[in-house]
Amino acid sequence: MAFYEQHIHPKPTTFISKYIFSYDHKVIGKQFLWYGILGLGLGGIMALMIRWALAFPGEAFPLIGRFMFPETGGVIPPDTYAMLFTMHGTIMIFYAITPILIGAFGNFCIPLMIGCRDMAFPLMNMLSFWLAVLSAALLVGSLFTPLGAAAGGWTAYPTLSTLIGSPGVGQTLWAVAIFVLGISSTMGAINYITTVITLRAPGMGYFDMPLTIWGLWLTAILNAIFLPVLGAGGLLLVFDRVFGTQFFLAGAAATSGTGDPVLFQHVFWIFGHPEVYILILPAWGIVSDILSFFSRKPAFGAKATALSMTSITILSTLVYGHHMYTTQMSPLLTQTFMTLTMTISIPSAIFFANWLGTIWKGTIKFDTPMLFSLGVVFVFGLGGLTGLYLGTVTTDLYLHDTYFVVGHFHYTMAASVLFGSFAAIYFWMPKMFGKMLNETWGKIHFWLTMLGLNGVFFGMLFVGYAGMHRRLYDPFVYDFLQKLVPINTFITWSAILMGLSQIIFVVNFCYAVFWGKEETDPNPWKVGTLEWTIPSPAPHYNFAEIPVVKCGPHELGNPNLTTDRDFQYQTEELVEA
Amino acid sequence: MERTAILHSDSIEGKRLVSSIAMIVVLVSFSMLFASLFLGYSYFRITSPVWPPMGMEKVDLFFPTLSTFAIVLSSMTFMVFKAKYFGGGAVNKTMPWLVATIILGAGFMYTQFSLWADLKSRGFYASSGVFQSLVYSFTWIHAAHIVIALLTLLYLIPVTMNKECTISEENKVNNVGKFWHFLDVVWLLMYFIIFVI
Amino acid sequence: MNLVSSLFEGLIMAAGGHGKVHDGLTFWQRIQPPEDISEHGHLIEWLFNYTTILNIFFFALVCAGLFGFSFLYSAKRNPKPYYTYGNKKSHIMVATAIGLSVFLAIDMNITRMSNNDYTGVFINWPDEDKEDVYRVQVMAQQWAWHFRYPGKDGVFNTEDDVVYLNDLRVPAGKKVVIQMISKDVIHSLYLPNARRKVDAIPGRITRIWFKLNKPGKYDIACAEMCGTYHYRMQAKLTVYEEADMNAWMAEAQEKAIQENDSENLERYWGWTWQKTTRKEVSMN
Repeated sequence: MAFYEQHIHPKPTTFISKYIFSYDHKVIGKQFLWYGILGLGLGGIMALMIRWALAFPGEAFPLIGRFMFPETGGVIPPDTYAMLFTMHGTIMIFYAITPILIGAFGNFCIPLMIGCRDMAFPLMNMLSFWLAVLSAALLVGSLFTPLGAAAGGWTAYPTLSTLIGSPGVGQTLWAVAIFVLGISSTMGAINYITTVITLRAPGMGYFDMPLTIWGLWLTAILNAIFLPVLGAGGLLLVFDRVFGTQFFLAGAAATSGTGDPVLFQHVFWIFGHPEVYILILPAWGIVSDILSFFSRKPAFGAKATALSMTSITILSTLVYGHHMYTTQMSPLLTQTFMTLTMTISIPSAIFFANWLGTIWKGTIKFDTPMLFSLGVVFVFGLGGLTGLYLGTVTTDLYLHDTYFVVGHFHYTMAASVLFGSFAAIYFWMPKMFGKMLNETWGKIHFWLTMLGLNGVFFGMLFVGYAGMHRRLYDPFVYDFLQKLVPINTFITWSAILMGLSQIIFVVNFCYAVFWGKEETDPNPWKVGTLEWTIPSPAPHYNFAEIPVVKCGPHELGNPNLTTDRDFQYQTEELVEA
Repeated sequence: MERTAILHSDSIEGKRLVSSIAMIVVLVSFSMLFASLFLGYSYFRITSPVWPPMGMEKVDLFFPTLSTFAIVLSSMTFMVFKAKYFGGGAVNKTMPWLVATIILGAGFMYTQFSLWADLKSRGFYASSGVFQSLVYSFTWIHAAHIVIALLTLLYLIPVTMNKECTISEENKVNNVGKFWHFLDVVWLLMYFIIFVI
Repeated sequence: MNLVSSLFEGLIMAAGGHGKVHDGLTFWQRIQPPEDISEHGHLIEWLFNYTTILNIFFFALVCAGLFGFSFLYSAKRNPKPYYTYGNKKSHIMVATAIGLSVFLAIDMNITRMSNNDYTGVFINWPDEDKEDVYRVQVMAQQWAWHFRYPGKDGVFNTEDDVVYLNDLRVPAGKKVVIQMISKDVIHSLYLPNARRKVDAIPGRITRIWFKLNKPGKYDIACAEMCGTYHYRMQAKLTVYEEADMNAWMAEAQEKAIQENDSENLERYWGWTWQKTTRKEVSMN
């Protein structure tokens, strides 16, 4: 099924061609992984600073506070607070989660799991990474501009994000950085889509692809279609700021009042809602696969899962209006968006049924990747169900822009996606670096993260329902929020626990990568997808011979097997009774 | 399920397919960019009681029409170039058509600059209202793409000069052509939507 | 619930939490939304609780599957997995049944209820020709709320208008219609005690109506990020009994006539009142 013969390219020899400007999808994947982990660290520290300000208003931030804010004696000032939550959102979404799941595992897994030697366009792949670096440099650089970084929230609603609300150059740099990142991700998406269509190993039909590839592929399609929409919005915002156009300017502070700030919200959410699924689809795919691998039985209803993912992809493009109920859209639009939003629950429920069906009557092994995957089922359950309150227009009138929303989207976008990423890192570590992560520390990492994470995000649901709205530097200036001080303190301690437990992961990861013992078994998890048929770490040409696929990716626990293995490689003829 | 293990013996056909699939994705991405712009345009147009708003006059059609002629002609010369090049024509038969395409493209840019200068001389600035913003931004974004496309057209000169047409050259000529025609179509849409109606 | 509260309080104490933890509230009391003073706020709360009950039921099912299967089918207990693709007729039926039951039992159910509340109450604008409504115009700006009441002439944007900063006073038991704009960036008028919010957007008029029943003083907040001092964009809501309201309004109107500086053009940020009919709003 591969469209053309793939040659074995000579191994790169110099340091630069091997590690810096590498064409090799595996090296680019690792580059994205480090990039994403750095982003997670940066965004995580910002999150802790936000939490600190909410729980202990007026107290100096420990350790680094005095160096960062000498003029206030270490207390986070309100304008910095606004920059912090803006940057936290932007970094976590575009510079942490996207590079880890889509950049790192998209690059690493797609060619290995579909059995080809590299991406269809290796040069474009490399450019995609270095454009992402450029974009990150622009964003981090904006922190050092005179008026500081963007401070209008990650959604950058005009007119706050125009010169009326943020005169500094930071907001312009933010928009440019997002635009450059959009180009980078679109290039990646073009590559992924083409690779999956054209370079699948001979014999591999679409439903023989592992569900991970389904998730990544659908994500790439959404990326290719909807990132340009954000690009257009970002461009017009830059024009408004730099060339004085009037798209989003209105009201008394504008020079002529004919633009409309709500247009940006439409454009942003046309992109923004699919973006949620861009982030979660790869995690769903990875989890669906890992649940099957560690239950030692085929994925339950794999075809239905793939089709549910596809239908969610399509539905996700039709529901963006539920982010805008409070802007008072016309009632007809409001009702339409509410109804469409609710239909997403059908494929989601089928997902859950299939996930639980996969572990039903399995032989479950609780290795770390499995723990994280089961964790995704738990937290995504919470995240999905809390979405119901927000898709419903009347409850949203109260809950919109409260911490309930924050809790909800952290459960779906942060918790689920983070757990999916960790599952993927623990699972593919031996194939990426040829080393295993320490299992004991991995499990400790999981349980501490699980504990901290639920403390943080469930706490947010509580304070949100109690009426605390978002993006407040000091919520306790309001009388009705003062009773929430203890809960906020509790959330912050949970966040600190969650933050500190990531140190376990970082140490575990760095130790394994640099000093860890080589894993000699090329297939430590005993699964049959194509990447496990080759030595670990994967050689630079991946497959000495392009494999021929003869069965599906989840052939585990077949009772008719006569070998001493309980699984079949995809290159083997399916054993039937 | 039938599981055949046929590698395409004809690698050329495969490479052609890969290239065109990727190009379809590229063009879908670009279309979404321009579609968002047109969405913004229709949003303003629908919500505004009169158009152009606030008693503005429409843009004089002289320069936009000239641009339209230039870019449509350039698309045609490119098609001639492609046909001759793929037909194995000699350099002196093919190259003039490519050069003509580039000159017409440059002419398009020239008329765009004249349009902007003309508009400015009439006191029509990007900052004076949303209609002006729309006219300028759309032509700017489109012109930026034209500049990139012109660079790729220039790149085609060394590619097609004195070289046999293998699959690599064929893909390059095809993809640059698709991009050029795509920008042509986008301009035609802009011409009718923004300037004419 | 006592167990949860004491556990929670204990955690906070152990963590050396804030002094305010000693105000004697239980955890359950803390997570209650602010007091509902409006005629229709209970609709929102009721729907919230209803959804919560359904959610707890379905999440319990997920947890039962997740933890139950993890326990029953661990490698030790169940060394031989059941080899199935989940494509048997019964399997597909069960998965589809779960999908449809979630969709019909929760989604379409709450959509229907929410839609009824929405069309029946929240956008069922009072007919100003027939009903006596209390009208207010609001202009939001960084970082304050301006409230405008018509003066004695009953017309907005004239020189005898009553204009107050961060101070909204409305009568109890009467329908209040608010029209709002924003001067600079997008704000959102948030009345936690009425369970409502609506954005104030530059360049367009947005509307909200509600009926409050309980006199007293309450908070108004801005719910949409509007800049550095977003958290300070606070206003007070005073709900008066009918008689108190009339007395205050008469006094304020008198004062406005005497003290208003009619030369100051900045005072005239108001607009001609736009009678809200359903049709008009749906044009937005």
